Amino acid sequence: MSVDLHNLTAAVYLGASVLATLGLSLRRPALSRAAVAALGVGAVAHALAFFESRAFALPPRGAGLSGAVDLAAWLGTLVFLGLVRRARLHALAALVAPAAFLGVFFGAFGPDPEAVRARATGPPWAHAHVLLASAGFALLAVAGFAGVLYLAQHRRLKRKTRLGGRAILPPLEALDRVNAFTISVGFLLLSLALVTGVLWTHATAGVVWPRSPHANAALVAWGVYALLVGARFLARQGAAQAARTAVAGFAVLVVAVAGVGLWP
Amino acid sequence: MTLLLLGMNHRTAPLALREHYAVDDVRPPLGKLVDRDVVAEAVLLSTCNRVEALVWTRRPDVARLRLRSFFERELARGAPPDCGVTVAEALYELEGSEAVRHVFRVAASIDSMVVGEPQILGQVKEAYRAALEAGACGSTLTRLYQHAFAAAKRVRSETHIAQRPVSVARVAAELAAEIFETFEDKTALLVGAGEMVELALERMREAGLARVRIANRTRARAEALASRFDGTAHGLDELPALLAGSDVVLTCIAGHEPILRREHVEHALRERRQRPLLVIDLGVPRNVDARVQALDGVYLHDVDDLGQVAEANAEERRREKVRAEAIVLEEAQRFDGWLAALAAVPTIRDLRDRAERIRAREVERALGRLDATPAQREAVEALTRSLVNKLLHAPVARLRAQEDREQGLATLEAARALFALDEGDGEPEPPADGGD
Repeated sequence: MSVDLHNLTAAVYLGASVLATLGLSLRRPALSRAAVAALGVGAVAHALAFFESRAFALPPRGAGLSGAVDLAAWLGTLVFLGLVRRARLHALAALVAPAAFLGVFFGAFGPDPEAVRARATGPPWAHAHVLLASAGFALLAVAGFAGVLYLAQHRRLKRKTRLGGRAILPPLEALDRVNAFTISVGFLLLSLALVTGVLWTHATAGVVWPRSPHANAALVAWGVYALLVGARFLARQGAAQAARTAVAGFAVLVVAVAGVGLWP
Repeated sequence: MTLLLLGMNHRTAPLALREHYAVDDVRPPLGKLVDRDVVAEAVLLSTCNRVEALVWTRRPDVARLRLRSFFERELARGAPPDCGVTVAEALYELEGSEAVRHVFRVAASIDSMVVGEPQILGQVKEAYRAALEAGACGSTLTRLYQHAFAAAKRVRSETHIAQRPVSVARVAAELAAEIFETFEDKTALLVGAGEMVELALERMREAGLARVRIANRTRARAEALASRFDGTAHGLDELPALLAGSDVVLTCIAGHEPILRREHVEHALRERRQRPLLVIDLGVPRNVDARVQALDGVYLHDVDDLGQVAEANAEERRREKVRAEAIVLEEAQRFDGWLAALAAVPTIRDLRDRAERIRAREVERALGRLDATPAQREAVEALTRSLVNKLLHAPVARLRAQEDREQGLATLEAARALFALDEGDGEPEPPADGGD
C-alpha cells in the first residue's frame, strides 16, 4: 500500500512538473496555478505514504539518505505551498515540482527501511537530526529555486526581452522575500541539525565529531551558509547578488550532503 | 499644390537618433522653413516618438530637398549619433492623400507607440497652435488639422480605444508589477509636472501607491500637482537626496542633459541597501544617464522599451484599431474632397469666364443686328445669363463635389479639355447662325 501511495505521489508530482513547465514556457498562469493545486494533492498523498510506512515512528525511516531526501521533498513542497498562499509565486512550481518528484523517486530507490531502522539507534537526537536536516535542506532548496527564478526575471528585465503581456514570473520583490525568509530559517534549522547530529553521534559512538565524509561535508556546507547569511543580513548584499549566492550555496549543499552520502 | 510630409518616428529611428532631432520650441525653425516660393504653409511636430514636418507646397520636388536640409541644418544638434540607422534610412516621405491620412492617424493615436494613448492629440494641437503663432499655418493646413481633430474625436467617441487606453502610465504600472509585489508600501518620485507625469500619477495612485514626491524646475507647478495627489513638492536640486527613499522614479522633463547621473543612482542604491529601483525615463532627449542600467539593482526603461511592452498588448486592441482606421479613412477622404474642390476653383473660374465671354460676344453680335430698345436689350441679357448659368450648373456642381482627390483631378483635366479651357482666348468661333 505504501509503495502504491509513493508511486501515486511521484505520479502527481510529475504531473505538476509538466503543468508548471508548460505554464512557464507558454506563459499561461492558469497552468501554473493548476500545477500548484497538483502539488497540494501530491503533498497530501506524500503524507499518507509516510504514515503508511511508519516513517514518523522511531527510529525514523529518514535516517538513511534516500529517506531524508524523500522527507525533504515533502517538507519543501509544504514550505512552497505555504509561501504561495502569501505571494504570486506560482511559477516557482516549475522548479519545486520536479525537485519533489526527484526526491520521491530517489526515496523509492533507497535502502530497505528495516535496515535503516536497525542502523539508526539512539533516539531522540536521531529523529530530531533527521527532521531538522531535512527541513533545513528543503528550505535552502526553496531559497535556491527562488534564486534561480530571481536571476531569470532579473536577466529578462535587464535585457528587456518579452516585456509586457501577462506577468508569468513572480515579482523580484516576492522572490527576494522568499529568499531572505528561507535562507534565514533554513540556516537556523541546518545549525540545529548540526548540533543534534553531534549529540546523536556522541550518544551512539561516544565521540563529538565522527570525522566521516558526511559530517565534514555538512560542516563545510554550514560554513558556506554562515558566510552567505552574514553577507545577506550584515554586509548589505543586493538582492541579485543574494540570489546568486543562494543558488551557489544550494549547489554546495547538494554536493556536500547528498553527494557525499551517495559515495561509497 | 500638394501636401508633403517628412519625418521619423519610433518605428524608423531609435531613441538616440530621435532625441538628436527633437526640438522644444518649434516656432523658430518653422519661421525659417516657410517662404513664398516653395513652402506656403508648415507645421512641425516634435514629441517623444516622432519628429515630423508637414508642408503645403507649390513645388514638391524642391520642397523635398528643402525639408531634408531643414532636418540637417535646423533641427539636428551636431553630428548624428552612430546608432546603426542613418538619418536617410530613418526619414520617411509621404505626399498628398498619404500625408493627409498619416496626419489623421497620428492625431487619432493610431500611429502611436502606445495605441490609444491620449497625450498625442494634445501634442498635435500644441504643434498646430505653435505653427499658427509662428505665422506658418494658413487656411489649408488649418482646415487639415480641424478635420484631423474631428477625426480623432470621432475615434475616441466611437471606438473603445480611449476606453481601454494602453497609456504609458499603464505600461509603467505593468513594469512595476514585474518588480514589486504591491504599490501599497512604495514611494514614487516623479520628475516633471506635465500631462504625462500627471496621467502616470493617476494610474499609480489607482494601483495603491503609498507616497508621491514630485520634483520640477518650476516648484510652483510641482506644488500644484503635489497638492492634488497628496504628495510633496521638491526642486530638481533635491533629486539626489530623494532617490534613496524612492522605489519608482519616472522622469519626463525637457532638457538636453541627463538630470540623473550614474553616480547619483549608485549612491542611492547604497543608501537603500540595494533594494530594486525602477526608473522610467520618458524624456526625449533622455533624462537619465543610460549607464545606470548597468547597476545591479536598477531597472531602467526608456520610451522605446515601453513601446515594446505596448506591442505585447497590441492583440487585444486590434479590433478597435481597425474601426478607428475606418473612421480615419472616411475623414481623410472628406478632407481630400475639400482639397479636390479647392483645386477645382481655378477650373470653375475659367469655365465661367469662358462662358461669359462667349455669351457677351454673341449677345453683342445679335443685338448689333437688331434695333432693340433698352428693355429688350435687358431681357436678352437676362435670358442669355440664365441660359449660361443653367447650362453650367450641373458641371460646376460636379466639379465641386469630387470626394476622391485622384478622381477629382482626372475630372478637372477632362473638363479643361472638353471646354478647351487651356486654349486661351482663341476659342473656336461658333457658327454665327448656329446649326451644325
